[in-house]
Amino acid sequence: MPTFSRRLSRLSHLVVPITLSAIGGAALFFGIVSLLAIPITPLLWRDALLIIAGIAALGIGIWQFSGMAMLPIGESTSSPDGELVFGFGQANKPPQIVVLSGGAGMLVLASLGDHVARMTCIVPAQDPVEYYYRAAGLFNFQNVYYVTPVPAPLDVIATLDDGTVANVRHLAVNPQIAEHHITRLALRDLAGAATPLPRLVAEAIRDADAIILGPGGLFESLLPNMLIDSFRDAVSKSAARKLYICNLMTEPGRTTGFSVADHIREIKRYAGFAPDYVLVNVQRIDSDVHQLYAAAHQSPVYLSPDEYEETAVLPGDRDGQRRLVIEGSVVIEADLASSVIQYTATLDNPDQSRAVHVLRHDADKLTATVLELLRRT
Amino acid sequence: MTLIVFEDEQWRTLAVIAQARPVFELRCGGYTVRERAAAVTGMDALGMARAHLMGYYGPPDGLAAMYTGEPTVLVNGRCLSLSWLPKLLAEPVNTVYIADGDLIGARLTPALASAVLYYLRDQQATDARDELTRFARVVELCGSDAPARIVYPWDLINQSGEQIVRDLDLLRMRLPAYAVHDPSVVRHGQHIFVGPGARLDGPLVLDARDGPIFIEGGAHIEPFSFIQGPAYIGAGTLIASARIRGETSIGPVCRVGGEVEASIIQGYSNKHHDGFLGHSWLGEWVNIGAMTTNSDLKNNYGSVRVALEGIGQIDSGVIKLGCFLADHVKLGIGLHLNGGTVIGTASNIFGVHSAPKTVPPFTWGGEIFREYRIDRMISVARTVMGRRKRELLPTYETLLRAVFNLTRPSRGNMSELPAPMPKVFAL
Repeated sequence: MPTFSRRLSRLSHLVVPITLSAIGGAALFFGIVSLLAIPITPLLWRDALLIIAGIAALGIGIWQFSGMAMLPIGESTSSPDGELVFGFGQANKPPQIVVLSGGAGMLVLASLGDHVARMTCIVPAQDPVEYYYRAAGLFNFQNVYYVTPVPAPLDVIATLDDGTVANVRHLAVNPQIAEHHITRLALRDLAGAATPLPRLVAEAIRDADAIILGPGGLFESLLPNMLIDSFRDAVSKSAARKLYICNLMTEPGRTTGFSVADHIREIKRYAGFAPDYVLVNVQRIDSDVHQLYAAAHQSPVYLSPDEYEETAVLPGDRDGQRRLVIEGSVVIEADLASSVIQYTATLDNPDQSRAVHVLRHDADKLTATVLELLRRT
Repeated sequence: MTLIVFEDEQWRTLAVIAQARPVFELRCGGYTVRERAAAVTGMDALGMARAHLMGYYGPPDGLAAMYTGEPTVLVNGRCLSLSWLPKLLAEPVNTVYIADGDLIGARLTPALASAVLYYLRDQQATDARDELTRFARVVELCGSDAPARIVYPWDLINQSGEQIVRDLDLLRMRLPAYAVHDPSVVRHGQHIFVGPGARLDGPLVLDARDGPIFIEGGAHIEPFSFIQGPAYIGAGTLIASARIRGETSIGPVCRVGGEVEASIIQGYSNKHHDGFLGHSWLGEWVNIGAMTTNSDLKNNYGSVRVALEGIGQIDSGVIKLGCFLADHVKLGIGLHLNGGTVIGTASNIFGVHSAPKTVPPFTWGGEIFREYRIDRMISVARTVMGRRKRELLPTYETLLRAVFNLTRPSRGNMSELPAPMPKVFAL
């Protein structure tokens, strides 16, 4: 009974309008009946039927009214901007991001820090972390924290397909090996693989909403950290979405001749997982730029025509569209790059620089694409 | 080498005097901890403090300035004694010093530093310590090797005299022994050091029998002053015929008169007139009106209790304790302050005989207290600083506004000081 009376008490401010409406409706009905002189017999039964039906309809109506939310709207209740808000919801929490990259690639992605709750950049095990802070200081990046997965840098050794063994940091400056690619990556000191993970790194990976691999050199920036057992385990166990930003061009002496699938296979080989999503640049490049790269044994990393046939409809896909799946990763093509003019000089003739068109990941395009992907998935 | 002085979790117990300055910028003896670390190592010390302080007290380049590629040396900003620091500098890289569970200092590779600076950025020194003990060589500083550290504001007062003595080796390298033969300057004791350009107008007495006296260059000691060691007088400070009793440190560009005993004046503050200041701590840009006096001893000779914001009343365990006036506090004339009085940043008390024992930051009044409007406070601060040829920088203004907002809950429902009425001109 208290519940019943409490519910009906909500209608206190509706008594006047409902009563007036009911009286008006009844008067109108009997007026029309009288005007048309409709004979409804017998009179007693007619009156009793009308009264019973009227009370029942009124009771049901009032009961239904009492279950509704009603707002009196008037000048005193309108908001200053003239809008009436009927409800609100909390916006999605900004994601926490971990970036595994190195060198310029990590700086390209640093502007993502403005859009996320926390951005932890884990630098390659062989790199001095202070270089990243110095570079980041030039650009005044916000909300970006750089950390290494090891207390002291580790040497990473690469074996090429011709048997050459070299420190992975020195491969980029050796044109003699440009036409070769890496077949094996290892730590010089194998005991380094057992290095425990700093808590900051472990927590960042554990709490991340997304782990972004790249952009950056596959063997120089992304895979060295996977040679550390605790790091590899932490990344593969993390529930975060794993997103790989594939290279625009192959890297001479490291990934020469690699396709998109080759890149993913190497990640699976060293990290033990296939990225959930792989972003591949769709923008085609001019033939003269193409020739320039070809002279340096570099080629664009595109999908091959037959790879476009590898489609699947994935469970849980919001859009219900079929996706391109390669090596277990959903591959998404997007415009990620811009052609920029770069001035270069040789050590033999440092005074004579020349301008060349090169392809680079575009920070704005990349950030927008990554954010959109995180929003949709 | 990169030298970083950091705040740890204990900033909260010091917050009443350190809302607008990092813990490592609190003066005790001849230096603040940051200045002392720089003096010991011979290089600039970078500060890592609460977020709202970093714009003014942190390096302009942010964390980037903290990575030079050379070993990173960390120093706890609560350590008054830094005698352990030269030893740490000689230790192998990735060595950490711990005393009584506190992270005291560390010498680290930039890589390992990157794994803990994140925690120190949020004053989580315990987390940093735990992480360092996993990767670094740990040295426990026990017994007399454990450095003196401040935990509560009154620790600064308790340590003041001893710290001036501890600073003797550092200060004597910079300040020459006073060797001028002036019969109007009566000297007792040996350790009197006076910097070039200091002006000593006799007759005055320098009594260094109980501890050294340091007078920085540019200081001016007016006639009829009495200075008892251990004492430190900062550069550009005027001692206006005052009695400066032992265990007193006075920072740069102060105006000090009356009687001062066992107190610390951070710098740029005025207590120009008569009145007693004992066992007290004054921040920067403090002004005390004539005849304002504090008590530093209860009539029942009991220990003094102090109210700390967010913590409650704490028994200091100290019998002689005066007041704590944070930065930009202004006191009117003839005020009486009880022992253990704490007046928060930028508060302005006047027109009463006895000030309340605890006054939150940015409070204005005497009989009735209101919130001190931040725009008005900044305008006054700009004028005050300008009189000492100091510019109120935008970063400092941002800091003051941040402190105003952070301390708002401590003022509760206190109403705002009414805006000044517009001027009406009679025609």
